[in-house]
Amino acid sequence: MQVIVVGLIAGSIYALIAAGITLVYKSSRVLNFAQAEIGTLSLYATWWISGEHGQPWIVGALAAIAISIAIGLIFERIIIRPMMTAPRVTVAVATIGLFTFLIALEAVWFAGSIKILPKPLNRGGFEVAGVFVSPSQELSLVVVAVVALGLAAYLRYTRFGLAVMASADDPVAAQLMGVPRARVSAFTWGTAGALSALAVLLIQPTVGALAPGAFSGLFIGGLTAALVGGLSSLPGAFVGGLLVGVLEAEAKAHLVTTALPGVQSVAMLAIVLAVLLLRPQGLLGRTA
Amino acid sequence: MSTPLLTLTGIRAGFGSQTIIHGIDLEVPAGQVTGLFGLNGAGKSVLLKVVAGVVPTWGGRIQFLGNDITTLSPERRVALGMAHVPQGRQVFPSLTVEQNLRVGGYVLDRRDRAAFHTQLERVYEMFPLLAERRRQYAGTLSGGQQAMLAVGRALISDPKLVLIDEPSAGLAPAIVEQLLESLLGIRELGLTMLLVEQNIRFGLRLSNQASLLQRGRVVYSGKTADLDHDTLASYLGVGRLLSKDLSAGLKRTSRSR
Amino acid sequence: MTAGKTQGAGVPTSGAYNRRANLALAAVLFIALPISTVQAMPKLLDGGQWLILDQAAAFALAAMSLNLLLGYTGQISLGHAGLLGVGAFASGVVTSRAELPMIVGLVVAVIASALVALIIGIPALRLRGLYLAIATVAFGIAMQYSVFRSDWLSAGSAGIALPRRLWGEHYLTTDATDNATFLVICLLLLLAAWIVDSNVLNTRVGRAFRAIRENEPVAQSFGINVTRYKLLAFVLSGAMAGLAGALYGHTIGFVNNESFTLEQSLLLVTMVIVGGMGHRLAVIIAAATFVIFPFVLPGLKGYELVVGAAILMLTVAQHPEGIADLLTARHRPLATDDEDDDAAMPELPNLPLPSGMVTQRPGTGTVLEVQDVTVRFGGLVAVDGASLRVPAGKIIGLIGPNGAGKSTLFNAVSGLVRVDRGVIRYRGQEIQGMRCDQRARLGIARSFQQVGLAKDLSMRENFLLAQHQLASYGDVSALLMLPKAWRTEQLFRERADEAVSSLGLSDLADMPVRNLSGGQQRLVEIGCLLVTAPDLVMLDEPSAGMAPAAAESLAERLRDLRDKLGRTVLLIEHNVPLVLDTCDYVYVLDAGQIIAEGPPEEITSQQQVIDAYFGAAVTA
Repeated sequence: MQVIVVGLIAGSIYALIAAGITLVYKSSRVLNFAQAEIGTLSLYATWWISGEHGQPWIVGALAAIAISIAIGLIFERIIIRPMMTAPRVTVAVATIGLFTFLIALEAVWFAGSIKILPKPLNRGGFEVAGVFVSPSQELSLVVVAVVALGLAAYLRYTRFGLAVMASADDPVAAQLMGVPRARVSAFTWGTAGALSALAVLLIQPTVGALAPGAFSGLFIGGLTAALVGGLSSLPGAFVGGLLVGVLEAEAKAHLVTTALPGVQSVAMLAIVLAVLLLRPQGLLGRTA
Repeated sequence: MSTPLLTLTGIRAGFGSQTIIHGIDLEVPAGQVTGLFGLNGAGKSVLLKVVAGVVPTWGGRIQFLGNDITTLSPERRVALGMAHVPQGRQVFPSLTVEQNLRVGGYVLDRRDRAAFHTQLERVYEMFPLLAERRRQYAGTLSGGQQAMLAVGRALISDPKLVLIDEPSAGLAPAIVEQLLESLLGIRELGLTMLLVEQNIRFGLRLSNQASLLQRGRVVYSGKTADLDHDTLASYLGVGRLLSKDLSAGLKRTSRSR
Repeated sequence: MTAGKTQGAGVPTSGAYNRRANLALAAVLFIALPISTVQAMPKLLDGGQWLILDQAAAFALAAMSLNLLLGYTGQISLGHAGLLGVGAFASGVVTSRAELPMIVGLVVAVIASALVALIIGIPALRLRGLYLAIATVAFGIAMQYSVFRSDWLSAGSAGIALPRRLWGEHYLTTDATDNATFLVICLLLLLAAWIVDSNVLNTRVGRAFRAIRENEPVAQSFGINVTRYKLLAFVLSGAMAGLAGALYGHTIGFVNNESFTLEQSLLLVTMVIVGGMGHRLAVIIAAATFVIFPFVLPGLKGYELVVGAAILMLTVAQHPEGIADLLTARHRPLATDDEDDDAAMPELPNLPLPSGMVTQRPGTGTVLEVQDVTVRFGGLVAVDGASLRVPAGKIIGLIGPNGAGKSTLFNAVSGLVRVDRGVIRYRGQEIQGMRCDQRARLGIARSFQQVGLAKDLSMRENFLLAQHQLASYGDVSALLMLPKAWRTEQLFRERADEAVSSLGLSDLADMPVRNLSGGQQRLVEIGCLLVTAPDLVMLDEPSAGMAPAAAESLAERLRDLRDKLGRTVLLIEHNVPLVLDTCDYVYVLDAGQIIAEGPPEEITSQQQVIDAYFGAAVTA
């Protein structure tokens, strides 16, 4: 039970990354390798504002979100938009380029020192099934729930949200209905940036320090979650995130070895592979 | 007749190094259905895509309602009053019928919410079947129902001009007949349409202006009623198969083949 | 009306020319280059620089290997470094533990990697796109963290040495001349791989790969055994990767698990994309550039990777098709060609006739028998106990409303969906358990509603693809381009050219089929079926999108197939005049069940059929 609670908390954050991956994949059939790294670089803004200059955490957090959105938008404008008709693997390689770019910047600017950030909340927290849920974990559960519901409602009930969904089904037909394709694409990447920042902001208190590439596990977890969710639906991504979080917690609890540090991720991948071989469209994916 | 709604002047277009449209001049008069006919590869669908803005022009000018739209994006053209029934219908399968219609009315809904709702009710009146199935996912509709939805989705924006690309393709004869009846009804309302259709029987009955294309050029333009059998036979290769079928509505100068 | 303009009449076969040009290019690159380098370069380069060139050659080979898999076959591998590692470790064990010469090590490396690649090819039979990518990531990570660290290979991160013992004689790795000699060996092996790769591309093997990349059901309907060719692609790619890995290992003299990481796999993918998927030369250039670039870059105070990543992003954004884009000249014609043939009346298209090799079939017996067949998708019953009989030498129509299950029934007969109940017999033999490509090779050919062509390939290539099952040469013969394969390919090319010109589309022969109009694509598809003159031709709405002229030609060809060649046709069609004109007998399918059958003139007068299908269309 403890393990499950721990897993759900980690999983909720994977869900945010999974939602970003799914959103981009659904609307452009591209795997965004930089999904976790956009937020990681932006987190240095939080460190600078809230850690170095003593501003409240929320100010630094908002700055990180703003920077992540900006990175998403700029990347979309300069790199993604000229590639609208390019093969999808090629676009994925461009995101590998973004990933490398961001992580290289982190290394050049911040290598060699570990940055400490203030905690988001200092009060609160509660106990479930003998597990203490810290204030920041509590925050992350709330934020994830709000984001999941908010995003789903936005996409289903607003005019522009529906336009985004229609674009995901058929971008050219959507354009012929008057949907501005460039704005939809910008929305997708901006949202992906915001989701990345949120995920990194929320997982940082659990990981502790901030160093270049500190959250690489976040991407693998998020990707796994997105795949389990079937890559086609946001609800799938959220359920997938929780599932992967729990599975990973179980794996950590039962596969503790010091000899092979990589064994957990290999075990995770093996589980995912087994799932995929049985259901190639993902656990919650629709059959074509 | 009044000034044309859409005027193409010297349009050229193609893919890669292949020119497909070799300088086309065309006028689409208001309130008429203009049909484009021709052999496969004559450039009908490409021309329609050029008008839509999906395929860029290599030369020439497109004027729509007095605006030069040659370099406008497809969505800007839609905002000016163009609407589409795309080839293969292309409804959004993961959206419901009503959501499809909302996307179809994206521009109008933004401009004037009340007008959009009036239009929505009009479309539901015109196609009661869509109203019945408004919460059904479009992907689960039958081919004929999808065709209705595609037409409704185009009409909802209260367009000035509707581009229709092969509406009857892949539909069973009974459904084609229904679709033709609906479109003829819409024609009666005075809506301007530009139509590409391979089903020559369907195309000739729906259009009242016809342009015949050959290798990317217009070789005949005039009233559909003035088309005679020989012209059709020589430009479209209408022969033994279709002659009998078409004989009802056609002027017949001589019996060929 | 003026007479039809004959155009593109004497278009030469480009295949032979391409092959010669390719070989010449390869010879220059790989023979002239090393000779000149060995002669002149030792004076110019020091040992470290030789090492870089050796690595560049190894990576060029590795990128070529991934290009075969990703560029030709469309199967993504994000674990290719794992295959390189298998080769390197295999050669390491042979040369440093067993102390055998390097040549043995290379051979073992090739075999070992090919076998491992065969194993990772198995998930590829079921997984596609991103899912396959993840499976290969899992392979790469398992290799990196577990296998390459195991005691019997390298004991943790201690790694393994790879001495360059050529024929038993021991070379020192620091000696510049030896590095140069080693470069010659690398380049010669690269040349060998180039030739094999080029043969793959110019034979049915490469066409099968590319058809799989484009559309697997279509590939199967051309008689291509998708399972077999996918595995073959993995094996060939694995063999090349093993060789590349071993060469890389012998270049640097030592490898451990950290030599073959996920990052390297991603780098290989990047090389292929930046070069241009499927463009061998461009991929090699890209790979070499990636290896050499960091060494020639001036000091950027740690910003090398930042700059490199930015250049990478901008390159792919500006050249999404890769730098191959720059190697192939492109032009857009200016407004000068418009006056030449304005009055010309195009020839009405003729669908190609079957090849002369095809013989008359006996027009007797039953070709196809569908007995009480049911197909379910989840809760939906698409075909519900349908039975029909197709006698030899007849044209049988299958009509019915949209969603009646006609295409599903076609899929059941051609093997794309499994039958839940019932029996399908082809010339007396039960076929419902057979794979799609096996049925195609028996003589069942079909067209698709959405046009069953490999759309990114040219019309000419599609006609070559269509002849896949006529090829009598084996895969080894293809890889080495033995005379038999060469001659067969020449014949195929001639026939493809004939087919293209009979459609009157010679000037479009080398354009991707995607760029043709919908109706032209349909003509090409039907043409591809007719070229092999299969015993049973199943056409799914062939006249959809066809202009009247083409439909007339289609009717004529269908009658030719029946009357002159004794072939049998099963036709789904909404074009009522075409059905009435060509069909000998018609079945009407509604809601998965046969509701009527009979000669066409009887069918059109049955009230039940009029209600379900024709509506006002026949009475008008």
